[in-house]
Amino acid sequence: MIDLKELILSKDNLYPLLRKLSKEARLIAPVKNTYGDTLFSPIDDIDKTEIDLDNQPQASLKPFFLPQQETLAGYTINEGEYTFSQPDPAQDTIFFGVRSCDLTALLYMDLIFSKPAKDATYFDRRNHSLIITLGCNQPFDNCFCEATGSGPYLEYGYGLQFIDLGDRYYVSAGRGKGADLLNKWGYFFREVQEEDKNRRYQLFLEARGQFTRNIQVSHACQKLQKETVAEDIWEKLSRRCYDCGGCAYVCPTCTCFSVDDKPQDSSSGIRIRSWDACTSSGFTRMAGGHNPVSRSRHALKRRFLHKLKHDYESHGKASCTGCGRCVDICFGGVDITTFIDLFTKQETP
Amino acid sequence: MNKTFIPAQAVIRKIIHENDQISTFRLELTNKRLPFTFLPGQFLMLSVPHCGEAAISISSSPDKLPLIDLSIRRAGELTTAIHKMKKGDQVGIRGPFGKAFPIKDFANRDLLFVAGGIGLAPLKSVIDHCLFQSGLEEDAVHGISLLYGSRSPSDIAFKPVIELWQAQGVDCRLTVDEKDNNWKGNVGLVTDLLSDFTLQNNTKALVCGPPIMIRFVIARLVDLGCDDQSIFTTLERHMKCGMGICGHCHLDGKLICLDGPVFNLSQLKKLDVMEFSR
Repeated sequence: MIDLKELILSKDNLYPLLRKLSKEARLIAPVKNTYGDTLFSPIDDIDKTEIDLDNQPQASLKPFFLPQQETLAGYTINEGEYTFSQPDPAQDTIFFGVRSCDLTALLYMDLIFSKPAKDATYFDRRNHSLIITLGCNQPFDNCFCEATGSGPYLEYGYGLQFIDLGDRYYVSAGRGKGADLLNKWGYFFREVQEEDKNRRYQLFLEARGQFTRNIQVSHACQKLQKETVAEDIWEKLSRRCYDCGGCAYVCPTCTCFSVDDKPQDSSSGIRIRSWDACTSSGFTRMAGGHNPVSRSRHALKRRFLHKLKHDYESHGKASCTGCGRCVDICFGGVDITTFIDLFTKQETP
Repeated sequence: MNKTFIPAQAVIRKIIHENDQISTFRLELTNKRLPFTFLPGQFLMLSVPHCGEAAISISSSPDKLPLIDLSIRRAGELTTAIHKMKKGDQVGIRGPFGKAFPIKDFANRDLLFVAGGIGLAPLKSVIDHCLFQSGLEEDAVHGISLLYGSRSPSDIAFKPVIELWQAQGVDCRLTVDEKDNNWKGNVGLVTDLLSDFTLQNNTKALVCGPPIMIRFVIARLVDLGCDDQSIFTTLERHMKCGMGICGHCHLDGKLICLDGPVFNLSQLKKLDVMEFSR
């Protein structure tokens, strides 16, 4: 997609712009908390908050669109009447400082939550959101977005994309809300000059050259279409998987969930949706205890094959965005990159 | 705004006691103007107060609408709770979901139904629908046969319905695993009934029951010369949404709720399921 509009924002103008935006909508950006963790957080007062654009946010945008736990509806049982109430509507939200991998993940979530019918709660939030991304000039230690085609810069999907040129940002607008925003707040920006374009391109090439991890994602995807994974690879991986679900929870594209009703008192309750993970043993257990997926190895297998085989089959692309969070969190060292390494080295029979 | 996980209100019009474990709950939507239709083989997400939701296949024929039957075996928390409900109580339903049996392909064919226990519920919808059509349409199904296995004579569900089917010309053969003093019929597995059953070459077979039963019945049907496109089953899996999002019924790249629950044998062979082990 061709950008509708490109402009330059001086870094001096960043906070003034964000101050304006935070008056229009809820503003969410990466902030380092007192524990030293950088997380996407709502910003109440921009003048008292320091946005952290140096560290990778430890969680993706997922919790804002699919919260770890959310109320889908309330229900009452009143004189035999069993009725459900609607949840609160979503509020307008602007996300700033989102990395390419996390927006790519959100675009994948759009696919999942629209088949075959649109998930109303998810799309209510999505339609009320504007995403401002920040291209990565320097990949983080475990990143491999270049191998998954989801970074370091993006070509589409964003409201606005910021690229850090040192003392200024190169801002590209996507369709719709992003372009509207540039039009509305035009006086913060200046026109792009040839020198800005050259600098941006130079930084892009430099960023691509800085990946330290060489993960053969597309090779693994293609190989999975033709070959089965040797049992000893599953064996090796499952031996060090402790079923903690950490990988699924930090993964920006792991969207499996559970829906349960929680009684509040004898005549009312709430219907809640919460994260679930295909790696946990109760995931497929049915009423009465029967579990059609009994082999323990299946859990890990299901997660990796879903991302690299089945999603590649159905969308032409793996649903791994190379954010590296599972690499950070897995204490058994059996994250998706380990699997890809083992499998791509497996000898073709 | 949010309609996705909010069910429609339905009232229990009648409860039919099928056996000690299974009852049929006849439901009707309280809002009679709500458009609702389904095809045999599809399922609903049933909400029971304080218990959440469960996927339940519809056991009645669409011809009986606006009444919808759900035949439910007491198995877990939700199903136990609905068994304690009475006529006039309300539940919630979402749906219908899933792929139905390809009824159109059954025209001018012989149909063989093989069921075990509660597995007769989704097939009952097809049998009733075919019988209803046979009185009306020229290209209706030819003959209908049912082989039905139960644990013991007292476990045989849908007895009055089976009698009605027999009166309408359905060849019903029943068997029990363990007989009691009054039982004069067949004793043994439902697969044994298949041994002295002659398959017409145009027969379509529909199978539902416990996974192990499905597996052995399919194997026997293949031995008898039934081709992969003519053997159907419907799979049961834990589901949370019914519409392809929650991920619980994901199986080898397929979602049971969207791509199934009805599968023919050639589709089933591509999946790594215990109902069909390669």
